[in-house]
Amino acid sequence: MSILSGLSFGAPWILAGLAILPAIYWLLRVTPPAPRRVVFPPLRLLLGLEAPQETPARTPLWLLALRLLAVALVIAALAAPSIGQSTKIGGTGPIVLFVDNDWAAAQGWKSRQAAISDTLADAAHADRPVAIVPTTSATAPVVSLFDAGEAERGARDLAPQSYLPNRMRAAAALSKTKFAATPEIFWLSDGLDYGDAQKVAETLSRIGHLKILSDAPGKGPLALKSQQSEPDGFLVTVVLASTEGAREGDVEAQGSHGEGLAAAHFKFVPGKDEATAKIVLPLEVRNEAERLAVINQDSAGTVRLLGAGARRRAVEIVSATNTENQQPLLSDVFYLSRALAPYADVRKGTIEDALARNVSVLALADIGNVSGADHDLVAQFVENGGVLLRFAGGRMTTNVDDLVPVKLRVGGRYLGGALAWAAPQHLAPFPDASPFRGLTIPPEVTVSRQVLAEPSVELGGHTWARLTDGTPLVTAAQRGKGWIVLFHVTASPAWSSLPLSGLYVDMLRRVLDLAGGARPSEMGTDAAAVFPPYATLDGFGQLVKPPSEAEPIRGSELSKLRASATHPAGLYGGEGAQIALNAASDDIVLTPMGDVGAESFAYSGVSALQLEAPLLALAIAILLVDMAISLRLRGFVAIPRNPFATRALLLLFCIPFVLPQPARADDAFDMKAALDTRLAYVITGLPDVDAISKEGLEGLGRALKARTSYEPQEPVGVDVAKDDLSFFPLLYWPMDPREQDLSPQAISRIADYMRNGGTILFDTRDLSLGAIEGADSPGEQTLRRLTAKLDMPPLQPVPSDHVLTKSFYLLQDFPGRWDGGKVWVEALPPPDPDAGPQPARGGDGVSPVIIGSNDWAAAWAVDSQDRPIAEVSPGGADQREMAYRFGINVVMYALTGNYKTDNVHAPALLERLGH
Amino acid sequence: MTESGEWNALREQAETLAATLPPLLAASERLAAAVSLGVHGRRKSGMGETFWQFRRYRSEDPSTAVDWRQSAKSQHLFVREREWEASEAVWFWRDGSANMRFKSDFSTVTKIDRATVLALALGSLLVRGGERIGLFGDGRLPATGRIPLRRIAHALAELPPSHAALPPEAPIGKNAQFVWLSDFLSPLGEFESALRRLAHGGVAGHLVHIIDPAEEDFPFAGRTRFESASGSESELLGRAEIVQQPYRARFKAHNEAVSALARRLGWSYLAHRTDKRPETALVALYADLGGAHARLRIA
Repeated sequence: MSILSGLSFGAPWILAGLAILPAIYWLLRVTPPAPRRVVFPPLRLLLGLEAPQETPARTPLWLLALRLLAVALVIAALAAPSIGQSTKIGGTGPIVLFVDNDWAAAQGWKSRQAAISDTLADAAHADRPVAIVPTTSATAPVVSLFDAGEAERGARDLAPQSYLPNRMRAAAALSKTKFAATPEIFWLSDGLDYGDAQKVAETLSRIGHLKILSDAPGKGPLALKSQQSEPDGFLVTVVLASTEGAREGDVEAQGSHGEGLAAAHFKFVPGKDEATAKIVLPLEVRNEAERLAVINQDSAGTVRLLGAGARRRAVEIVSATNTENQQPLLSDVFYLSRALAPYADVRKGTIEDALARNVSVLALADIGNVSGADHDLVAQFVENGGVLLRFAGGRMTTNVDDLVPVKLRVGGRYLGGALAWAAPQHLAPFPDASPFRGLTIPPEVTVSRQVLAEPSVELGGHTWARLTDGTPLVTAAQRGKGWIVLFHVTASPAWSSLPLSGLYVDMLRRVLDLAGGARPSEMGTDAAAVFPPYATLDGFGQLVKPPSEAEPIRGSELSKLRASATHPAGLYGGEGAQIALNAASDDIVLTPMGDVGAESFAYSGVSALQLEAPLLALAIAILLVDMAISLRLRGFVAIPRNPFATRALLLLFCIPFVLPQPARADDAFDMKAALDTRLAYVITGLPDVDAISKEGLEGLGRALKARTSYEPQEPVGVDVAKDDLSFFPLLYWPMDPREQDLSPQAISRIADYMRNGGTILFDTRDLSLGAIEGADSPGEQTLRRLTAKLDMPPLQPVPSDHVLTKSFYLLQDFPGRWDGGKVWVEALPPPDPDAGPQPARGGDGVSPVIIGSNDWAAAWAVDSQDRPIAEVSPGGADQREMAYRFGINVVMYALTGNYKTDNVHAPALLERLGH
Repeated sequence: MTESGEWNALREQAETLAATLPPLLAASERLAAAVSLGVHGRRKSGMGETFWQFRRYRSEDPSTAVDWRQSAKSQHLFVREREWEASEAVWFWRDGSANMRFKSDFSTVTKIDRATVLALALGSLLVRGGERIGLFGDGRLPATGRIPLRRIAHALAELPPSHAALPPEAPIGKNAQFVWLSDFLSPLGEFESALRRLAHGGVAGHLVHIIDPAEEDFPFAGRTRFESASGSESELLGRAEIVQQPYRARFKAHNEAVSALARRLGWSYLAHRTDKRPETALVALYADLGGAHARLRIA
């Protein structure tokens, strides 16, 4: 029922067509199916055989039902049914979609999109023009009417923005538009009242019929109001538009890649519109946090960017004296730690401790001389990017090391003392290059004692703050990647009232930011400072490249700035010192939109499901089935009576399952070939020749097993056109005139094989094929035919010193089944006359071909009882033995290459070593 | 090409079929004196080259007929008689009507193909037996040898088919044999007059009734429109299965009428269904044509 309740029809009157179903039923019922046609020669015998109980053939009832169902489906489909649409467009005029696309709408953007597409679908059906008016845009929206198709393209471009809407401007633009008929206005609201909801509603009601869509209760927008830095994390405040309902959720601290660092749960107490959550983060992780966001709320308002200022630095304070316990109010450490604690993780200790802790800022209070090993450590620390913050004091007036930004004069100066002429000095405005630019200088801050810098040309550039008489108060210098900052006064109020003012805290904070890699000139926040947009938030709370209309923020507007079209929420400023401008300001109050006197609906959340196309598809499918059945009934399609045809069909279906098998077979072949070193022969396709090759290699394999350390597995036949040859060191290839020519692929595979070190033993089997020996023999003719396109190396008859004659047995002739044929190998380079007589020559690598004519496989071939299969001629047992020896030599040659040549050189080598 | 291929295929099929049987000598009971010489003995004395018997000289014998050598062995004169050798003429008629070109789903060959194969196989057997064969109505006299066989095969399989169902009126020698392959679906009256005409001409004959299984079994059901082979007539039956029994009865009666007619005129009758193997029909035909003499030789 729940499905049916959401069912609606775009053109319900078409359903009246269902009334014709009985007529169709009657028609189908009386129209008999077409007869099947049969040629029948003895027709004459059939004539006049009219059966007594001839009844008109009827369409079977179930077929009738099927056809009626198809017709009913077509009619229902034409009525444009859809499921799930809640709002109906009334009226006949144009349709206006007044869309709040601010960040508050982003949380439920999907439901708004669904509402828009539903409305556009209806508009397309009714052929009504549509205007889409976004309330949140950089400039006043231009209202123009489109047809539904164009409007859909416009709707696709519509995206929520990271600032608040300007509804009045949009309503004003709409009111200026002339409509031919009273428009239907749908206000797709974000559910918030920015103080003008009533007025906007009135304006819109004057233009046309207003309907307001808003979020269902309990789904209103949330915002992250503010965050507070705590020493161990963040305290976050979440606000809610309405006080009804018990919303809860999680807020998460996220790193630069959006990774969750820590999360905290928040829950709204009924009646309250604020909730807080504490995200606990250790300091090391905390500085990784770039933003805080409510989980599963894709909105710029539920994201708080932290900016550079929110980082907490580890600061170590090292003081020369240890008086803070006895007289804390006179201690440098006390004032420093009080000023730094809100923004940094402060500890007190020694320089050594500090550097072991990997602090960012090392504050030295009244230490005149960093001595010994510490000096080098501190210098290294600054070079590596640390910030050394020093304060003057009594010790600095006499003896100062070189870890100061400017050269200091010995002594110091007293101002306003009993014996001094000058009155205590005030602070002068900060110089342009100073990071303190933009801080307000309280008039009551005075300096009564300071250490003085030696005047020099660079002094002005190093000065970040000076007194009204021009003497520097704060100087700084960059060393390596780090900074040395010197306050020319004490960290305690002993020399000045600066530590008692808020300025002291702000100045120290800026110094902390130096540790983030910021440039001092970009840290100033005075009116003239400019912060270009670095990255901005889109409406869904994702950082994106700043849009073109985003403008830099002036220092003067910084404090009271709200996110707007020209300043979208995001990060502003330079690298390392970004200022965060958040979509939800710290003082935001989300006011729910009350009753503004217009019809109001909640978003349905899901787009309506159009059933027209599926129903038509179903009807067509039914008609196709009906056609198949009709053909079958009329006998046009015979069920295959022939079992062979059935099997053929089955086979056809099985082919996809069968096909992968050859690949598996290949794998099996490769595995078999790769896991053992095997002798291989080329499959010629001639069963008798292949059988002899196999048996011959088996026989040779037995001889190898018995006599050598090489134990070949049973030989395999390879198809040079298909199989991977690279597994085999030696291929035996008997020649026979009946062999087919090789395909070009096979030729290239063989060439590759030979080039990459394989050896092919071609056996032309002259006397086995006929009485002709030598070049005109059929075997040799075949060899020429097959290998005509191969790149054959120059050949020579095996010279008497060839390594083939020595690789296992010492041989000089190579009989097989026949004796006397020549054996050819790749021509060796001519012997080096200087090297003297050499017992063996091998050349580089192995000869890619060995060509002979003695039909060795036949000589090697044995049956299962080790009895030779073929008679050898003329020689008997001796000749067969020599044939085996040749085979073993060839295998050894193919396996070991010219290694044996090295071996026979051994005496010469030993002799050379002896020298 | 294809037609000649078809011709060759049919001929080869026929030869294969015929290869299973020994050469056929057409039996002839009614012989006249003026028959042509043939190559095989008729097991009675007559004109021929093979010795048959010696008999006593009778006064009407010419003196040259006396076998002096034999006569010298006894008191009486003997005459050497030779075995009478003569060949028989066998005419073929294959129905070429459109009806014959029918093949139902229950058979693998058309009736005409089966008839042609049977005719050629029989012809091949006869030629091997030295008989003369001829295609009725093609204007040639029966002859013996492979060439007439080829000619007949050519005429049956390759030439444009004649659509005549019944043999035309053509001269036919007395004492010839006639093999008529047809489905005998012509009206009984026409068929009877054609058959009587042949039979009165003194021709002994054999009817081979080629039947498609669908024609005999009538395996149809449901709403069916039956059309004649020429397509000119049709009959729509709402439920074909209902007329199955009456049709079968009628078909059987028709066949019996044909066979009764044949028997009355002394012709043999053989029914052959195209879904059966042609060998059975050929063996039966072989027996019919060869008569007792042939049966003996098969045994």
